[in-house]
Amino acid sequence: MRFVHTADWQLGMTRRFLGAGRVGQAVGEAQARFAQARLDAVAALGRVAADEGAAFVVVCGDVFESNLVGPDVVGRACEALRSFTVPVLLLPGNHDPADAALVTRRADFARRCPPHVTVLDSPGVHEVAPGIEVVAAPWATKRPLSDLVGDRLRALEPAPDGVVRVLAGHGAVDVLSPDEHDPAVIRTDGCRAALADGRVHYVALGDRHSTWQLHGEPRIAYSGAPEVTSHEETDPGNVLVVDAGPDGASVRQVRVGRWAFAREDAMVDTDDDLAALDARLGGIAAPERTALRLAVEGTVTLRQRTRLDAIAEAHAPVFAALEVDAGAVVTRPDDADVEDLGLTGFAADAARELADAARDTADTEALDALALLHRLAVAR
Amino acid sequence: MRLLRIRLRDFRGVHDREVRLAESGVTVLEGENEVGKTSTVAALDLLVDFRDDSKASPVRAAAPAGRDAGPEVEAEFVSGPYHVVYRKRWLRRRLTELTVLTPSPEQLAGREAHDRLLAILDETMDRSLWLALRVEQHTPLGQADLGGHDALSRALDLAAAGAGGEGAGPAADAAAEGLVERALAEVRRYHGGHGRPVGPLREAGERTTAAREEVDRAAAAVTEVERDVDLRAELDREAAGLAEERRAQNDRVRELEDRWSALQARRQEVATSAERAEHARERAGRATERQDARAALVTATTSARDAAARAEQVLAGLETRDGARRDDLAERRAAADAARAASDTATAAARAAADALTTARDRAELAVLRGRLRRAGTAEEARREAARAAGGPCADATAVERLEGLDREVVAAEAELTAGAATVEVTGLAAGATVTVDGTEHAVAEGATTTLPVADPVTVGVPGAVRVTVRPGRDGAAARRRVADARAARDELCSTLGVADPAAARAALRAAGEAAARVRELAAVVERELDGRTLDDVRAAIAALVERLPAEADPGPATPPRRRGARRAAPDEPGLFEEAGLLDDPADDPEPEDLEPLRLEAVRTLDAADAAHRAAREAENAWRRTDEAAVAAGTEVAGARTALAVARSEADRRSAELADARAEQPDDALAAAATEALARARRHEADHEQRAAALDADDPTTVEALYTTAKRAVEALVARTTDVDRRRAEVTGRLQVAGGEGRHDRLAAARAELAAAERQHAAVTRRAAAATRLHDTLARRRDEVRRAYVAPFRREVERLARIVFGPSLTLEVDPSLRIVTRTLNGVTVPFDALSTGAKEQLGLCARLAVAALVDAEDGVPVLIDDALGHSDPGRLERLAAVFGAAAAGSSHQVVVLTCTPARYRGIGAARTVTLDPSYPPPEAVPAPPTEPAGSPESAGPTGDPVPDAWSEVG
Repeated sequence: MRFVHTADWQLGMTRRFLGAGRVGQAVGEAQARFAQARLDAVAALGRVAADEGAAFVVVCGDVFESNLVGPDVVGRACEALRSFTVPVLLLPGNHDPADAALVTRRADFARRCPPHVTVLDSPGVHEVAPGIEVVAAPWATKRPLSDLVGDRLRALEPAPDGVVRVLAGHGAVDVLSPDEHDPAVIRTDGCRAALADGRVHYVALGDRHSTWQLHGEPRIAYSGAPEVTSHEETDPGNVLVVDAGPDGASVRQVRVGRWAFAREDAMVDTDDDLAALDARLGGIAAPERTALRLAVEGTVTLRQRTRLDAIAEAHAPVFAALEVDAGAVVTRPDDADVEDLGLTGFAADAARELADAARDTADTEALDALALLHRLAVAR
Repeated sequence: MRLLRIRLRDFRGVHDREVRLAESGVTVLEGENEVGKTSTVAALDLLVDFRDDSKASPVRAAAPAGRDAGPEVEAEFVSGPYHVVYRKRWLRRRLTELTVLTPSPEQLAGREAHDRLLAILDETMDRSLWLALRVEQHTPLGQADLGGHDALSRALDLAAAGAGGEGAGPAADAAAEGLVERALAEVRRYHGGHGRPVGPLREAGERTTAAREEVDRAAAAVTEVERDVDLRAELDREAAGLAEERRAQNDRVRELEDRWSALQARRQEVATSAERAEHARERAGRATERQDARAALVTATTSARDAAARAEQVLAGLETRDGARRDDLAERRAAADAARAASDTATAAARAAADALTTARDRAELAVLRGRLRRAGTAEEARREAARAAGGPCADATAVERLEGLDREVVAAEAELTAGAATVEVTGLAAGATVTVDGTEHAVAEGATTTLPVADPVTVGVPGAVRVTVRPGRDGAAARRRVADARAARDELCSTLGVADPAAARAALRAAGEAAARVRELAAVVERELDGRTLDDVRAAIAALVERLPAEADPGPATPPRRRGARRAAPDEPGLFEEAGLLDDPADDPEPEDLEPLRLEAVRTLDAADAAHRAAREAENAWRRTDEAAVAAGTEVAGARTALAVARSEADRRSAELADARAEQPDDALAAAATEALARARRHEADHEQRAAALDADDPTTVEALYTTAKRAVEALVARTTDVDRRRAEVTGRLQVAGGEGRHDRLAAARAELAAAERQHAAVTRRAAAATRLHDTLARRRDEVRRAYVAPFRREVERLARIVFGPSLTLEVDPSLRIVTRTLNGVTVPFDALSTGAKEQLGLCARLAVAALVDAEDGVPVLIDDALGHSDPGRLERLAAVFGAAAAGSSHQVVVLTCTPARYRGIGAARTVTLDPSYPPPEAVPAPPTEPAGSPESAGPTGDPVPDAWSEVG
């Protein structure tokens, strides 16, 4: 039995570095494209399911960024789901728990929800098709007080013959959770035991946005988000195509995401370094779908600093987002910086004074003042 | 720049005039008002500023009035290496011509010429300094704005360097000045006055504030939903708990209700038995009441009969006493009448006795009065007599003493005479001799000698024998005269007094004194008898008494006193004094009647009358009392009769009532019924008490309370359930609404916006800080530099100004080359507080100082249009020296325009040009070249004729 395991669509998520529209206005251009990319990823995984001949798609939690997303987000999600040709099971996770505000119980969702979509908002066994069961461990609140997956597994009898059972759960597993005292953490031992005695045949998890499998047990896996959501993620943008049965399971990773949230480091000390950086930025593929965090360090003159700023400014429009962290760049104006201005008289004295302050005491205000003087002097 | 020549044609009021200026030093242009001095300066500006096709208002204003000609200006000047002639005509037949003579000849026209000229000026001349060094007409000659001029800066730079300054190149400061301005403009983009944020800085701040508020609002909206979600979960739990509680409570209510119903039935029975007992008690009570009523009726009947009998007895007694009282009344009346009659008699007797007594008293009184009257009359007469006796001439004791005095004088005089006179001694010689002395015989005893004085002639004789007369001699005459005078005075007084000699006078005086005493005595008698009354009063009293006395009673007692009185009253009767003692004796009055019996009789009769009257009154009172008692007793009898009638009627009625009642139900039957009813009532009460005690033992109150409480608890649970359901519905409704609002999206957008706003704000703040820092640094550096080159400027100004103000003058100059204060003789005054004249003089000195400082190549002319109107002649003279001092060692050009040439006489001008009016020639006749003597001997570089009057004094 083949199905597609995915999770953490986080529909309705925005990223600050992609720019903001002003209050009351539409979001920025990159932001809008990113939102569309997330929907495209959903549609893509629907196509994967169809192409792979999957029996169903299970989304293990956090379909929506929040239960309070707007009707536009809900409506577009429903439209994306409409393109699916296989049954889709949506599990409420920690972002969209099955509490009184559950988004999938809202009228706007119910009105547009395609018939092949099932919301696993009550815990227990759901029969997707004869011989195929999905055990749902949905979040009912944002702060569960027990291991929901463990609770479900303990209530199960071994699956009858001829029935393939998949558990759909959400949350951090104990080997990954940094908080040992979290009562809701998922115990992998319990999962292993359930897999061993045949109560379930695959444990599909959500919450971690990078694809991850339990070491030595591929049947306990996080699919990761189908499209990147953060610079911290190691391997996002995938769905898992799972062939599961009483005898074991094989898992394949299929990429559907197209965006990249990248981090780059650069050392700039010379004009050559600057040129290299310029070339490097120019060489990045698909910059319009890349949010780059560039951490620059080094020691430069004022002219070099101006050039660095100019390079960043020149490339920024191409990228979805280009964040240059120049906090580690030390700017030391040299004599040439001052002479370059072609100033005489007291203006030259003032420029030298500012340059000295910037160089000797790392006075950024003096540096800014000197930069401004450059601008004003050139404008003359 | 140096101006060499200016020519105006058809320019305002000037038809055609050329003015030449001294190349260096002072040129004075003098002329009357409206001759066109100021136009000359204005023409220069026009020449540079406006192209020939301009129709700007200054250009149009330059057109000559009423003539169809375009204004034309031509100037020749040297600026830097260039020596040019520039000509321009506007409005009509427009024209621009530029001729560059050196360094390389050029000839340009039109737009090209204009642009080229501007380029030359920009290259070689500091135009702002040119404007600053000008003093326009009618504008106060104040401080020139000297800061930031290239030429001046260069000059000061040189001066500072020459004075040992650093000379680091402040010549570029003028350019740097522009940088300061731009930096300030940059600061102004962010900060208004007092550091108030404006423009992008303010917008960024506002954007951040707005974004933060929006985040707060959006977060609150999300939090609200989260709270509602929690609340909804809480309410769900509560609803489930309530349902459970209600089930348990309902069971309890049902159980209690059963117990309560059973008790309720028994309580009904107890109530019924209580009613029954009450009913029996009431019937017993009624029977007893009937019995009591019968007994009361019997008692009332008996007492009514008794009352009737008593009333009868009372009436009989009263009637008996009434008869006796009537008899007594008649008796008392008779007695009273008798007593009254007796009283009347006694009263009459008393009155008669009183009358008799009164009459007797009057009569006695009359007699007394008559006696007194008589005695008083007698005494009065005697008194009058005595008074006459007392009033004689010798009664005057003084006169008598005088007489005696006179007598003594006589004796004294005689003694003196005798003593001094001869004496005659007669001595008897024989016994029995007799001698006569002055006719008087004296026996002269034997041997006796009698000495006789011979004061007067003394005749001594022996009778019958001889007569010897002895006469005193002449020497005794005076004494004799004195004796005679004394005798005469004594005798005269004696005769006056009516006496013979002083002894008689003494006797008479004594008699008068006795008479006076008698008068006083008698007056006292009269006084006593009349007892303070006058005689007339006494007589009137007597007359009143006589009147009153009855005539028949009068004669008897009245006659004898009258008779006796008449006898006594004889006035001439002798022995007045002897009878005086009788006057006090009333025994001569008639014997008074004996009044005592009469008085006693009157008293006795009066007492009797009083007694009789009292008796009569008592008797009457007794009668009246008896009468009143009789009347009262009659009333009492009538009352008793009424009472008897009432009592009899009552007794009859009661008897009839009792008889009726007994006929209806005998007394013993009543008693039996009452006893029976009471017994039944007791039975019923006992039954009720038993039942009630049994019910209380089962504690129905507690059961009822429990039942009620349980029911109330159920109601409360229902109410709470309803409330919870309602709140759940509310929360659910709110959640449904909130769900469709996209609150998460809004919060995300708001946070993104806040982040962006904060980034922007930080960036703008940083830019603003950079601008402020830059400007501060530049300005500080500039001020430092300026301070360095202020010194040479100040030195030069002070040098010139000391010529005007004296050697003690010092000035303070700020970095922008403005004079801040002037100190003169130790007194420091701010520039603005100086007098207009002093400001004008200092302003001129500053300009001339600049002109002197600036290199001749760089320099511009100092142009002064009719200034120094505020300076006094002494100062003017000194200012003239200033012009000279400024010109010394320098080659700058100064042009002074004035309408009062005297003001500038002392300057020692290099050239003085007198401007005369330049009118257009008459229309018809072509203008003949009327050239005054001493006219153009020098031709300008253009070679143009100089058709109009101008003169030149060098």
